[in-house]
Amino acid sequence: MNRVIRAAGFLLLALAITVPARLDLELQFDAALAVIYGLAILSLVLLTGYVGQISLCQATFMGISAFGTGMLVNTFHLNYFVAAAAGVLMSFLVGIVVGIPALRLRGILLAVVTLGVALVFDKYFFLDSAYGWFTGGSFGWHVSGTHVGSIKVDSLHVMPAYYVLLGIFVLVALAMLRLHDSGSGRRFRAIRDSELAAATMGVDLTRYKLVAFGLSAAIAGLGGALYPLVVGSVSAQPFSFLYSLQFAAFAVLMGIRYVPAAAIGGFFMGFMPVILVRLSHSLHHDIKYDWFQVVLGALLVAQLILLPDGVWGDVRQKLDHLQVKAPRRKVETA
Amino acid sequence: MSLLSVKDLTVRFGGITALDQVSLELNRGEILGLIGPNGAGKTTLFNCISGVLQPDQGRIRYQGKSLRWLKPHQRAQRGIARTFQNLQLWGTMTVLDNVKVPIDALGKRSLVVDALGLPFATYAEKAANERARAILHVLGLLDHEDRLAGDLPVGIQRRVELARALAMRPQLLLLDEPAAGLDAAETEGLADLLTRIRERFKVSMLLVDHDMSLVMRACDYIYVLDFGKLLAAGRPEAIREDPKVIAAYLGEASAELPGAPEEEAVVVAKTAAQPTTPVFRLPDRPLLEVSGLAAGYGHLEVVRDVNLRISTGEVVACIGANGAGKTTTLRALSGVIRPRGGRVIFEGADITHDRPEAIVRLGLVHIPQGRGLFPKLSVEETLRLASYSGADGENLEPAFQLFPKLRDRRRQVVGTLSGGEQQMVAMARAILARPKLVLLDEMSQGLAPAIVQELFRLLDEFRNRGVAVLLVEQFVDSALAVADRAYVFEQGTVVHEASAKELRRDKGLIASSYLGSAPEPPAAAAHAGGNGHNGHTPLPAELMEDLMLKLPASMLRSLQEKSAREGRPAQALVLELLEERRS
Repeated sequence: MNRVIRAAGFLLLALAITVPARLDLELQFDAALAVIYGLAILSLVLLTGYVGQISLCQATFMGISAFGTGMLVNTFHLNYFVAAAAGVLMSFLVGIVVGIPALRLRGILLAVVTLGVALVFDKYFFLDSAYGWFTGGSFGWHVSGTHVGSIKVDSLHVMPAYYVLLGIFVLVALAMLRLHDSGSGRRFRAIRDSELAAATMGVDLTRYKLVAFGLSAAIAGLGGALYPLVVGSVSAQPFSFLYSLQFAAFAVLMGIRYVPAAAIGGFFMGFMPVILVRLSHSLHHDIKYDWFQVVLGALLVAQLILLPDGVWGDVRQKLDHLQVKAPRRKVETA
Repeated sequence: MSLLSVKDLTVRFGGITALDQVSLELNRGEILGLIGPNGAGKTTLFNCISGVLQPDQGRIRYQGKSLRWLKPHQRAQRGIARTFQNLQLWGTMTVLDNVKVPIDALGKRSLVVDALGLPFATYAEKAANERARAILHVLGLLDHEDRLAGDLPVGIQRRVELARALAMRPQLLLLDEPAAGLDAAETEGLADLLTRIRERFKVSMLLVDHDMSLVMRACDYIYVLDFGKLLAAGRPEAIREDPKVIAAYLGEASAELPGAPEEEAVVVAKTAAQPTTPVFRLPDRPLLEVSGLAAGYGHLEVVRDVNLRISTGEVVACIGANGAGKTTTLRALSGVIRPRGGRVIFEGADITHDRPEAIVRLGLVHIPQGRGLFPKLSVEETLRLASYSGADGENLEPAFQLFPKLRDRRRQVVGTLSGGEQQMVAMARAILARPKLVLLDEMSQGLAPAIVQELFRLLDEFRNRGVAVLLVEQFVDSALAVADRAYVFEQGTVVHEASAKELRRDKGLIASSYLGSAPEPPAAAAHAGGNGHNGHTPLPAELMEDLMLKLPASMLRSLQEKSAREGRPAQALVLELLEERRS
């Protein structure tokens, strides 16, 4: 069974490497966005899926590293990738600070607090002129692009950035899979299942919760840091709390406890708008993106009833059952 | 000197004093019992020791050092492990993973090493696996290592919790009601298991439990709490006979003490229960008739081919080991889970596939295990809710007549009531629905014996009102004392049906029931009563300390008792004994 999933994973990865190069620029752009969204969902798999802490401000973490990177590139003329690394570090630190309330709160209260954080950044910090040094004022930062060796990367040449993003995504995903079954992963999951038991069995709640928030923010920040390179500029709109809510919705829909769910979720979030637009062109019928949101909402309701462990979680369980049954039949015939 | 020393511990929650100046001493190698009625503060004390709760006053010293500033995980790493009354296993993790968490917590393993899968992580993983398997092996859990902890039956989950606590390499094990939800045979096994664990893992234990047969059998020394105060302390035999303890713990009226010889107990319970005979019994037409019932969860069939008949106003008990299918049967009868086969006829109507709310309206009320109450509603609101199941929501009088205690507490929020009172609320709510048959699941779970006796007497009231009762009960003897008939469940089906009288005569069943026989007195160290040799040159303090550490716990406890009795330091007594030996 595991072998089947692994083979499917390799196949999809091969497709992800080869297919976008043959697409037009708009679709290449969406492919890069899909990976960025995938990283954001992956960050929720770690924080909510593994550790059980709810966060509705993952887009804010993305925004901090995106603005930070833009600022360092424009103001200090740093190399883009050095700036990006610094941007991720900023997200990590902000994540730890946001994690402090999680030491006391959980469940719906924590959700509200993180939503509050998202709103403060979204409606105030990212927009207020007082923080123009960080956000680039009302026009945001313009990023003209960079070079990887002799290859030019900017918003018109998206593929190199896409490959960097894809590489990062694969590495983070692999690390998280490894983490899941390791000692640290077990401690994370212990916190998710019972904080009381975790604390009395020697797990340092303060440390592990803060680390989880920091790491999760950094993973979201990885996508955010490369966002300016793909889009060519940074503004507040793509980091609004509505995106945070969408990340959470997609993560739950696809199976928040599972790493592959991030890949599936990112794919849908990245490509759904353009697919709908092209469909409406070819059908000569106006299909709005809003419809997609309505469908998403309906899917969520259906999923919570039919597939409570998310699309991936339940599919996987079905596959596991098949595997359990198969060898038994062999024994009977033998 | 002692491993754990608690001094003048006081904890207040708002106006309530949960613990009032409690002191206790636990010696190395000792199994210390802590008993007391519900709400006596036992779990609060546990929470203070494991660091989940900060006491308002008093101090706790462990291995001679104060625990005051240590967080729960630091205390755990220093060797204080615990289990929980309401199981706190990590349900979505496998049994093996559950046991590995505390093992990891003892080592230094970093997140980076884990995420990158460096060689060191693989090595540590292997070592953790081996140690975890060794512990699982000792507790007989190896067969379950790959199962998710949440999927296991309660009895096994309790053992997994024990394994997880042992994986912490504890010196002190805090056991919070390890026998709750276990049947009589499992409880008996638990006492032996605990003594075996003490030998094998060299741990001391602090044990809280309601099951007196377990406490009496396993403990070297017992402290009794009542309303947050220390009521008594002594060896099991002394506690058993202490009138103060009997009064507080078992209730003034009940002369019976679980753990006393069974004959007596039966007689007492009988006189309380037997005089009434059902008035409303209709001949020949059963109230409930179940034939060939099958039910289960997921792909698991738990009960099959269950046949039951209950007449109006009859009290019928279901007895049998944990996992025998008693609770599942009740759930299938009340429609909470869908029967997979067979027929359920209630008052002549086929209700096999009816929805639970329709079944309630017909007069078949289910009081589930754990009582199924809403902790944030007041008593009155809860009782009014019964109107949804066909009662007159305005007139709560019938309930208050039966449970006068609840009248005073009508405005109180259910979650703040004691366990016994909560059970009363659940029963009162059921009676308001004007039931013809009440299904009562584990009524006495987690309750002190005195309250249990009171509840059993109330079942008689049910019968007087023509209400039939089908009950599932751990306290087999008490249940049989009230019941007219009983069904014995084994492995998902009814294997035996008999009148309660007959079953009570069945020695084999009695032996494994709650009222176990008196335990053999633990080996007490014999002492010669010296006449007080004074004027010796005292041994150096360190040597004395060392000597105290190496004494067996039982001997040490005898010494302490003697020193308390005679008002002299234990060290002096030791010297005396050594002198006697020499001469």
